[in-house]
Amino acid sequence: MGVHNSINKGKAITVTIDGKVCQSTFGKTILDIARENDIYIPTMCYLTKVQPIASCRMCIVDVEGVDGMILSCQEKATDGAVVNTQNDELNKERQNIMKLYNVNHPLECGVCDKSGECDLQNKTMEFGLEEQAFTARDQHRPVENWGHVSYDPALCIMCEKCVRVSTEITGDEALQLKFGGYSSTIINVKQEKNYASLGEAAAVCPVGALVDTNFKYTTNAWELEKIPSACPHCGGGCQMTYEVKNERIYRMTNAFEFSNLCGAGRYGFDYANENVSKDAKAFSSAVEAFENAQSILFSSQISNEEALILQKLKKEKGYKLVSSEARSYQKFMQAYSSITGKSLYGGTLKGISESRAIIVLGTKINDDSPTVKYHINMASKWHRARVAYMHPLEDLEIKNIVTQFIKYEAGSEEGVAALLVETLLKDIEVPNAIRAFLDDLDIGNLSAESNIGEEELVFLAKSLIKKSGFSLVVGSDLYAHPKAVQIAKLLALLEEYAGFNVVCVPPAGNAMGISLICDLDDEAEGKTVGYNAPADFTLSALGDGDLDMPAMNQQEGTLTTNDKRVVPMNVALPYGGYVLNDIANALGLDAEYTIEYTKELPAEKGFEAQAFDSLPDYFDSVGNEHRGYLLKSIKTSVSRTLEEVSDIDGFDGAVIYNCDPTEQFSAFTAKCEALKMEAFLLGSKQFATATKLQDGESISFSIDGVRFDRVFKIDTSMKGTIALNPTFDMGLSAALLSSYRFSRLDFERAGK
Amino acid sequence: MSGIIFSTWRDEFIDNRGKSSDELSESGFKLPETYHGDKNSKAFIGWDGVAIFDEDIDAVELASQYAAQYQEYSEACGRCAPGRWGGRILYDLLDKIARGEGSHDDITHLKEIAQTMMTTSKCEIGKTVPVPILDLMEHYKDQFDTCINGQIPSKHYAGDTTYIAKVTAPCTDMCPAHVDIPAYIEGVRDMVFTESLAATRQTMPLAHTCGRVCPHPCEDACRRMNLDEPISIMELKRLGADYETDHDLPWLHPVEPKPLRTDGKKVAIIGAGPAGLTAAYYLALEGIQSHIFEELPVNGGEVAVGVPEYRMPIGKYQKDIDLVLELEAVSITNNHRVDADRLKEIEAEYDATLLGFGARLSKKVRAANENVNMGGYWGAIEMLDKVNLWHKYDIGSPASNELEGKTVVCVGGGFTSMDVVRCSIREGAKKVVMLYRRDEKTIIRNTTYEEYHEAVEEGVEFIFHSAIEEIYDDGKNITGLKINMFELVPDPDGGRAQLVKKEGADFEMECDYLIPAVSQALDTQILPEEWNLEMTSWNSILTNGKDFMTSRPGLFAAGDCEYGPMTIVNAVGQARRAASVISRYIYDGKCTLTDDEIMEDHLNKLRVYDKKEKITGWMPGLPRAESEKLGVEERKTNNKEVNLGFTGEEALAEAERCMRCYYISMVAV
Repeated sequence: MGVHNSINKGKAITVTIDGKVCQSTFGKTILDIARENDIYIPTMCYLTKVQPIASCRMCIVDVEGVDGMILSCQEKATDGAVVNTQNDELNKERQNIMKLYNVNHPLECGVCDKSGECDLQNKTMEFGLEEQAFTARDQHRPVENWGHVSYDPALCIMCEKCVRVSTEITGDEALQLKFGGYSSTIINVKQEKNYASLGEAAAVCPVGALVDTNFKYTTNAWELEKIPSACPHCGGGCQMTYEVKNERIYRMTNAFEFSNLCGAGRYGFDYANENVSKDAKAFSSAVEAFENAQSILFSSQISNEEALILQKLKKEKGYKLVSSEARSYQKFMQAYSSITGKSLYGGTLKGISESRAIIVLGTKINDDSPTVKYHINMASKWHRARVAYMHPLEDLEIKNIVTQFIKYEAGSEEGVAALLVETLLKDIEVPNAIRAFLDDLDIGNLSAESNIGEEELVFLAKSLIKKSGFSLVVGSDLYAHPKAVQIAKLLALLEEYAGFNVVCVPPAGNAMGISLICDLDDEAEGKTVGYNAPADFTLSALGDGDLDMPAMNQQEGTLTTNDKRVVPMNVALPYGGYVLNDIANALGLDAEYTIEYTKELPAEKGFEAQAFDSLPDYFDSVGNEHRGYLLKSIKTSVSRTLEEVSDIDGFDGAVIYNCDPTEQFSAFTAKCEALKMEAFLLGSKQFATATKLQDGESISFSIDGVRFDRVFKIDTSMKGTIALNPTFDMGLSAALLSSYRFSRLDFERAGK
Repeated sequence: MSGIIFSTWRDEFIDNRGKSSDELSESGFKLPETYHGDKNSKAFIGWDGVAIFDEDIDAVELASQYAAQYQEYSEACGRCAPGRWGGRILYDLLDKIARGEGSHDDITHLKEIAQTMMTTSKCEIGKTVPVPILDLMEHYKDQFDTCINGQIPSKHYAGDTTYIAKVTAPCTDMCPAHVDIPAYIEGVRDMVFTESLAATRQTMPLAHTCGRVCPHPCEDACRRMNLDEPISIMELKRLGADYETDHDLPWLHPVEPKPLRTDGKKVAIIGAGPAGLTAAYYLALEGIQSHIFEELPVNGGEVAVGVPEYRMPIGKYQKDIDLVLELEAVSITNNHRVDADRLKEIEAEYDATLLGFGARLSKKVRAANENVNMGGYWGAIEMLDKVNLWHKYDIGSPASNELEGKTVVCVGGGFTSMDVVRCSIREGAKKVVMLYRRDEKTIIRNTTYEEYHEAVEEGVEFIFHSAIEEIYDDGKNITGLKINMFELVPDPDGGRAQLVKKEGADFEMECDYLIPAVSQALDTQILPEEWNLEMTSWNSILTNGKDFMTSRPGLFAAGDCEYGPMTIVNAVGQARRAASVISRYIYDGKCTLTDDEIMEDHLNKLRVYDKKEKITGWMPGLPRAESEKLGVEERKTNNKEVNLGFTGEEALAEAERCMRCYYISMVAV
């Protein structure tokens, strides 16, 4: 009988490849080990970030004592194996495969977008093929436009990379293989959705078959200047590269072999504040406004360095610093740290992707953080992870990932957290005070008020029967919750005592960086200056304020990511106006460039004293990330006291939930051409009945003093009495939204 | 007289061309010389060679048609570069030659492509399709040359020869239900679990069940065994089924069920066990109405009331059952015992009737003083009914009322006896003994390694080479047993070893409950005497094993009542075939098989798996994945499922070991 795989996994082995003795561990493929040792094996279908596809057969190697040619991408190396990657026979077969790949492949490289960066082109050259050796009867297969991406089956080599990305990474599961031998093709089974995540699939296409529709036929790949950077939209800070020509961004690419970029990152690039020149008058008004101001309001769309400038100005001038999302997150994390004794949450994205069970609480994760959702999907596909999605709204978009939807009443998150913790810590040793707290919980009452059945919790506990690899993903619903402090402490117990890989997904933008760098205040007072937030004097990167500011793609600086990494952003497009640093200098600070502050980011919060220009920004040949540096988690003081769980303030009647669609995060993504969309208040038929609203009816309502004029639309896929209220179209005023994401809808009909 | 003209099948080489009748060689293989009935085959061509039965064969067209099948079968290709383009070029070039437009360069190209396909293709189809084509190009070279040199079509090009092909695999062939195993494993490898499930359900509706309690004969025909260890085929089946359940998906049928037929045709099915459910399922997919008559208040047959919860959780089996019963074309009556009179009524009322009532009578152990009415004498079927009805359905009372603190002795050696002893442990018996006539190796072969070892771990005492000579009682209850011991004595003449009683080794043992689980018989009272149904020598209902019709027209039988006590997967395989035959019989009154079914039977006779074959192109020494099991203390006092199933990582690693041994076979008639 066999040996349990996991026993052998990780066992040290020695493998000899092309004469080089390589130390590795069991479980790795021959190709993995070759790449670790800088030994080249050609591939056409291999994509490091997914499981081996094994369609191209180019990676065949010879293993001594084993008959036949061995597929190195899929076959695991065994101890003592002696591998040869190059010989005449292997080369001949690889050459023959390249001949087959070239059967009927159109020779129109001159008009193909991929030309110059095409794997087929490169390998055809590498294997010295000068002509198409074989032909077959051609087939007529027209190009298909799938929205963000277009597919040309005639160019497709059926490597299956795109399908794997759609399945294993983004989880949209839109792309499938349609088998049929020579006429095999890729199909999009969810064309009506026009997923922006298909850009991820296009990114990995080795040929010109799956391409960005908007980019197609606009330029030659080799004419584009490549500017590596990080995505500023959701807080993921994903690696990406601006591709620029003549001061215009043509497209975004990324290190697709190892990392991912969601639709917003890929298509949300044209939001620069353009044609701005130095307006000396406006600048002096700005300086004056700062001199007179008592408070600075700002959104999360700023770099770490700018946050540090504001913090320094606070020290100099005594400003109140108000940035509501970051402030809520800061308070939440402070409470969290009081349990764990560490400044940062312990979890990582990789930890999520390696989980066997994941609980998602208080976030519409598919919309709030696509990159986190991708990692949950990876766990679902690679580890059959149980995924419990706890939220007041079911999300059909992630039904393929979620194994248990636990619906709770909006507002009841404290009770939900208590129930969850009580369930999951049942058989775990915890300090007496905490056990006493858990024992005192009135489960029946909490269950009734949150509307979570006890049998649902029993089922949840049962599904965690394999006793390792748990993740908890929590999000923005919780941070501005009236009971956020208590919720944070409760959930931190799971990291502290139950070994959960916990990720507290920061709100969009650089909220995490701000929360670490700035001493934030709860309320503004006196005269205000706003940076990407409306105030008495407004600095705006949208170009609609009192002084223009550069957008994120016009600045250099660093971002703090949800994977706790400080990553560099570079300038993609020029900016002719003043920047925050100019104002700071006028107010008495002294730095020639903003990035001089990179090395001054607070060490006591886990930043490193590294100069901007010394920050690395690459993945190595086996995919290790070398981008900036990882934040250090700092020891914090511990105070494990929990309050009694209070009665739950539920909502009666119709409720709205502030939530942007997957591709939208701010007024900046809203500006982008490829992502253009209208904002509606979306609700179910039941919501329409409860509110007596007609489909298409215009209404107005206010949240945190921000007035929304919305058209209501019925979405028949939705259920219940909670509607989705987007905020991406609200310009700078979205920065003023500071309260809990759910609110009761008190509206006026248009014309009243 | 052999009809073989020429054969390169497997390791054989026969060339009877131009030989006189006394020089003719015969094949050692059961090649399909006769296709079906009185229809002869002209040739058989497949992964391992080609056999010609007709002098007048058109070898060029045969080769090109075989290559065409590679284009035809969706499972076969499109998934690797050599197969996708190579297969196409193979066909294009062969057809070009057959049309009379080929050149000798084409032959060179064909050989080059064939070589790359055979070395680098992803699945065995790609690797093996060129094999018989190269054989034909070599041994029927003159026919190819004639076409090329004369630029003329092959001799019967586009004539009236019919080519009938079938894709199979060694595992699929060995599986009684012929499940498309490589496809469902590929679904796991691709992480498209819905595809995996759809592949399983093409021929096997009980995906949850046969992902758990199938004795997996397929694994004995896994080519991976020739390299290291067989793939854990059975357990990989769970992934698709669990995915559907975990994500609360609508039922995933392999094809959209056809609309309910309105022609009034209806089929009666006796018994809602694996056979009955399977037949109902495949009839329903065809839109044919069936009604199931079930004696018990619960559905699922012996798997529900016989197989214990810790091995087959009813929640999972119920999914398989609901999959069938929720179809519009299926209806059921429970608590309805069909006796001979009722069967006559039903048979008269329905267009066809399928018997699937199993074999639920416990056989006796044949010991002295054996009295089935004595206290403590408890048939395995009745005992397991009680245990399972209580634990799964809250019906009846717990068997611990009887068994707690008692000494239980079971006589058996098969799965049922394992269930008896392991349930007895769970019901709190003080001591549980299994008596078995043969040895440890045999009990493992008859059940599984896991099953035996888990029973030992849980505290079952096995006494091998033992049998009961006499049962002692106090007039009311059994009190003890006299046991004989045997030894296996080899036959000096090289025949089968004999079990011989060991003198002086007898002993007596205490016993409160004696549970015979030696075998089960079917309840023949249901069969009307005047029908005079033909029975097998072991008293099960006789059919020809191909169309599953009994000696009475319109009356079919499948599962244990046809075969005798056998496996779930056997019942499924028989019932699916029976459903297919019935779907035609109810219209034309004839028992016919489809070409696919005829080919299935031919291949099964020929045997697809070759245990001597040497495997090339795969890395040996990659261990078979083993799923995590509950520890003995965690499981032996409860009914928690013992086998926790594969983690995703284990499942993927295991799926990657699968060599995708698809083969194409084709008959020319």
